Amino acid sequence: MLLMLAGLSLAAATAVPAVFAAAPYEAYTYNYYRDAVPLPAPFLPERSVSGLDLGTGDFKSPNDMFVTEDGYVYVLDSGNKRIIVTDDEWNVIRVISAFDNAGREDTFNNPGGLFVTESKEIYVADTDNGRIVVLTNEGELIRIVSDPQSDILPSGFKFAPVKITVDRANRIFAVARGVFEGLMQFDDKGGFIGYVGTIHVTQSFADRLWLRLATDEQRKRMQLYIPTEFASVDIDHKGFVYATNIDVNSTATIKRLNPSGQDVIKRFGYYPNMGDIRFRSFGNNAGPSRLTDIKVIGGGMYTVLDSFRGRLFTYNDEGELLYAFGGKGTQLGLFNTPVAVERIGSKLAVLDRGKNNIIVFRPTLFGSAVHQATTLHYNGRDAEAVELWKEVLRLNSNYDIAYLGIGKSLLMEKKNKEAMEYFKLGMQRKYYSVAYKRYRREVMQEHFGTMMTLLTVLAVALFSFRFVKRWRMRRTVNREVGTL
Amino acid sequence: MKLEHYKFPFHVILHPFDGFWDMKYEGKGKVGIAMIILSLLVLSVIVQRQFSGFLVNFNDPRYLNSLDDMQFTVLPFFLFCIANWSITTLMEGEGKFGEIIMATGYALLPIVIVNLPLTFVSRFMTMEETPFYYLINSFAAIWFCFLLFVGIMTVHQYTPARTLITLGLTVVAMGIVVFLASLAFSMTMQIYYFIANIYRELIFRM
Repeated sequence: MLLMLAGLSLAAATAVPAVFAAAPYEAYTYNYYRDAVPLPAPFLPERSVSGLDLGTGDFKSPNDMFVTEDGYVYVLDSGNKRIIVTDDEWNVIRVISAFDNAGREDTFNNPGGLFVTESKEIYVADTDNGRIVVLTNEGELIRIVSDPQSDILPSGFKFAPVKITVDRANRIFAVARGVFEGLMQFDDKGGFIGYVGTIHVTQSFADRLWLRLATDEQRKRMQLYIPTEFASVDIDHKGFVYATNIDVNSTATIKRLNPSGQDVIKRFGYYPNMGDIRFRSFGNNAGPSRLTDIKVIGGGMYTVLDSFRGRLFTYNDEGELLYAFGGKGTQLGLFNTPVAVERIGSKLAVLDRGKNNIIVFRPTLFGSAVHQATTLHYNGRDAEAVELWKEVLRLNSNYDIAYLGIGKSLLMEKKNKEAMEYFKLGMQRKYYSVAYKRYRREVMQEHFGTMMTLLTVLAVALFSFRFVKRWRMRRTVNREVGTL
Repeated sequence: MKLEHYKFPFHVILHPFDGFWDMKYEGKGKVGIAMIILSLLVLSVIVQRQFSGFLVNFNDPRYLNSLDDMQFTVLPFFLFCIANWSITTLMEGEGKFGEIIMATGYALLPIVIVNLPLTFVSRFMTMEETPFYYLINSFAAIWFCFLLFVGIMTVHQYTPARTLITLGLTVVAMGIVVFLASLAFSMTMQIYYFIANIYRELIFRM
C-alpha cells in the first residue's frame, strides 16, 4: 500500500497522466465547461467479499447493507431471508434468519432494506410481508410496524416498504412501493404520522399544449402526471433525511429534507447534482444516472450510487461534484447490479446484487486528501484545509474545487489579490467579485492621496492653460482692434 | 484623405440625417474610411473576446480564434452590403454599392468607440457593476441599428416603412446568398474530388 501511494504521488509529481493498473475504471469530475476531466482514482478496489468468503454460503440477491459507525456490517441477504452481521474484520458474528413472533417462528419475505440505529436496533423493511420489523441486535423481536391507519391513506392500501431510515427519536422514514406522496413517516410507537418530502411535478408547456389539443378520450388514455417514487433514503447526524429518486426528466434527483419535509439540499455547483450531466439522449447507454442509493459520508459529503452505469458520485455540501468513478464489468471494482453503498471508516463498500458480493474500496492518497480537506472546510477550518488542498493540487492540478478551497481561505485571511487568482483558476465568478471588490477598495485607499494630488494638479493645469489661452486671444483681439 | 474625412464619421454618428445626406450628395464619405472602421471593429471584437474582464468574459479560452472572429465580422458585413444592394436595386433604391458600404461602415462606428474603452473598463468591474457593461453594450447596438436604418433610408431615398421592408428582405436575401454559396461550395468540392479521383485512377493504371 505504501508503495502504491508512493507510486501515485510520483506519477502526479512528474505530471504524467495518472493511469493505474489497479483501477479498472477512470475517475473523473466535471469542470466549469461541463467536460469530464480525468482524475487520479480517489478509491481503488481492495477486495470483494462474498457469502462463501464469510462462510455463510452464497448470498442470494441481497438487497441492502448497513454499516454502523463502529464498523459492524449488516447484510440483508434477501433471497436467503436472512441478515448476516459481521464485525469490521468480516468475521461473522451472527446470522438472523428467523425471529420469535408471539411464540411462532417468523421469517422475512423478500425484504428490501434495513437500518441499524445507534443503540443497535435493526429495522428491516420486510417488503412482501408488508411490514417493518424491529429487532434487537441479537435478533429478538421488539415490535412490528404494519398496516398503517390514517384518513389520508386510500382504502385497500397495501403497505410495501422498500427502504427505510430511522432518526434519533426512533421515527421511521420509509420508501414504500406505489406511494407517490413522499416518504412515509412513522412515530416511535409505529403509528403513521404522514408524508414528508412530496416531489412536485410540473407540466411542461408542450405537455399542456398536448392536453389542450387532445380529445376527452385521448386524455383518459394519457398517463397521469404523478411524481416518481423515492428510490432510497439515508439520514445524517443532524436528522436531515437524504433521498434519491429516479426521474429522467428531473435534475433534482437528490434531495435533503429538513424536519418539515422541504428540500434544502444546496445546488451551488456549476451544474445540477444529479450524477452524470453528459450522457447520450438516444441509443446505447443513454439517459441520466439512476441513483438507487445514497449514503451520507460525513463532512457534509454524500455519495450516490448510479446503478445504470455502475458509478459512484460524491458531492460536497455545496453540491459540487468531488469525483465520480466505477463502471460495469466483471473485474474487481466493477459492478453488475450495484444496489447499496456504505461507508466503512474511510473505506467505501458497495453491495452488488448481480455478483452477490460486496466490493470494498480503499481511498488513495488523492481520495483521502480530498475527503479530509472537504471535511475541514465544512467545519470552518479553512486554514488547515489549505495544506491539504495544496497536496490535492500537487496530485492533480486540474482540480477546481481545491483552487476554490484555497481561495476561500485566502479571502478569510484578507489576502484578496491572491484569492482573486485562485478564484479565477477555480472559475468562481461570485467569490472572485467579492475578492476583487475588496482588493480594489484597498488599492483606492492606499493610493487615495496620490490620486487626489494628481487630479488637483491636472485641474489646475487645465484651468491655467485655458486662462492663458483666453488671455492671449484677448491680446490678439486688442491688437487687431488697435490696428484698425 | 484629408483630416476632415477622418472627422466626418463622428459628425455622421451624432447628426445622422445631415451626415448621411452629406455623405451621399456632398461626397464627404470615403469607402476607405468605412474599411478602416470595419478593421477597427474586427480589432475591437478580438480584443473584447480575449481581454474583457473575467466577470463578463464567458468565452472558453480554448476555442478563441482571432481568424474566426475576423471572418465572422467581415463576411456578414459584405454579405449584408451585397444582399442590400441586390434587394434595393430591384426596389428602386438610389444608392450605389459604394454608398451602401459607406453607410453600413459608418454606422458601425459607435460599436467600435464604445467597445474598446468598455473592454478596458470591464476589467475593473465587480459583479454588481456588470449590468452597466451590458447596458452600455446594448446602447451601442441600438445606436448602430438606428444609424443603419437612417443610413439605408437616406442612401436609397426611401420612406421609413419601405426601409424596414427592405431591411427585412435583406435578411432573407442574406439567407439565400449563404444557401447558394454553400451549395456552390459543395458542388465545387464534388467536382474537385471527381477530377482528383479520375486523376488518381489514371495514375494507378498507367
